[in-house]
Amino acid sequence: MREATTRGLGLAFAVAYAVFVGWLFVRQPQTIAQVTGGLSAAIGTYNVDAQALADGRRFFRNGQFVEARLAFARADPALRDAQTQFYIAYSFYRQGWGRLYHDDLLYTEGLAAIDRALALAPAGRLVVADPDLMMHTAEELKAELEAGVRRDASDFNPLRLLEVRK
Amino acid sequence: MTAAREAFGLPAVFLTVFLLGALRIGDAAVLVPPSPFALVLGALLLRVVVQSGALAPERLLSSARSGLANANGLVVLVVLWAAAAQVIAVLIPESGVPQIAFSVFFFVLLLNTAAAAPDRERLLRSLAVTLGSAFVLKFVVLYQLSTPRAGALKRMLQAILDSVTLGALIQAVPHPIAAYLALLSLVVFLVGLVLLPHRDQVPPRRLLRPSLP
Repeated sequence: MREATTRGLGLAFAVAYAVFVGWLFVRQPQTIAQVTGGLSAAIGTYNVDAQALADGRRFFRNGQFVEARLAFARADPALRDAQTQFYIAYSFYRQGWGRLYHDDLLYTEGLAAIDRALALAPAGRLVVADPDLMMHTAEELKAELEAGVRRDASDFNPLRLLEVRK
Repeated sequence: MTAAREAFGLPAVFLTVFLLGALRIGDAAVLVPPSPFALVLGALLLRVVVQSGALAPERLLSSARSGLANANGLVVLVVLWAAAAQVIAVLIPESGVPQIAFSVFFFVLLLNTAAAAPDRERLLRSLAVTLGSAFVLKFVVLYQLSTPRAGALKRMLQAILDSVTLGALIQAVPHPIAAYLALLSLVVFLVGLVLLPHRDQVPPRRLLRPSLP
């Protein structure tokens, strides 16, 4: 191989490796699946496992939220799909919702998931056209989760007992 | 030095050191960049490496080389600096008096090494001993003192040590694999230093003296 070719390829390799290292610093992936998924998403080849997503939605509709999240995690192991993250956030909302109180821990996890969904959605806009849901946009779900973890006077409003889970 | 080593080998070695050295494994794996002070220490280390002849910068950057070759050389210099800073950062404890003590130790040591102006061979030996000792102090001695003890007596002694030093000595205990990662990054860094394009050794002056009749 000619020296100029070797040097050119080497320079491209070094730059690519440095970009990869920089990407790892910015994204801080926690699993190999997140690394490979993130790289696949960067070149547009990342796909969600459709069967696992369908399983997750079925569990979700049946109120089996833990099972649903396990299936969603299988469908989107790299946490790169906005719609799946939306469903994960919704499952935290529905599981944590209570007529007298909301589970702050689950709501907080839901907020983390909806933030991931918003970050992944093109231009930050995410609409899920699922007739089984009462909230179809990430903004509605996020507002509901934020209201759930907030402490204010409305928490003591007796009319709150009449609220329905969305 | 071959073009392949300069273009592929050295950047791969030093970027790997940078990556391994940045990895902190606790409840979650986090990549931590070197602190500004570690970058300063990295620059000092780069200086002594050049001064000793372990790195001949004119063999990486010069007007006699092509633009592409100079770009390769510049990449090597930048990643060497980053890796040097990261290796020093991984050997400095995370908190308390040990962190300050190690930082000052490295700073003084690098200035002293620059003043002593060792040759390549001595510098490489000195760096292996110094960085190796810092590794042992941090990952063996210091963390052995900080590891929670099983027996009541040992826990009591640890509590006394913690009280006497006002909590300044005890460190957060890292994941067991952290020491192996640090050792790997240290060894790969030293190998990278050996692979750098260096100046040919000048024979000692006394050997050049003409023999007396």
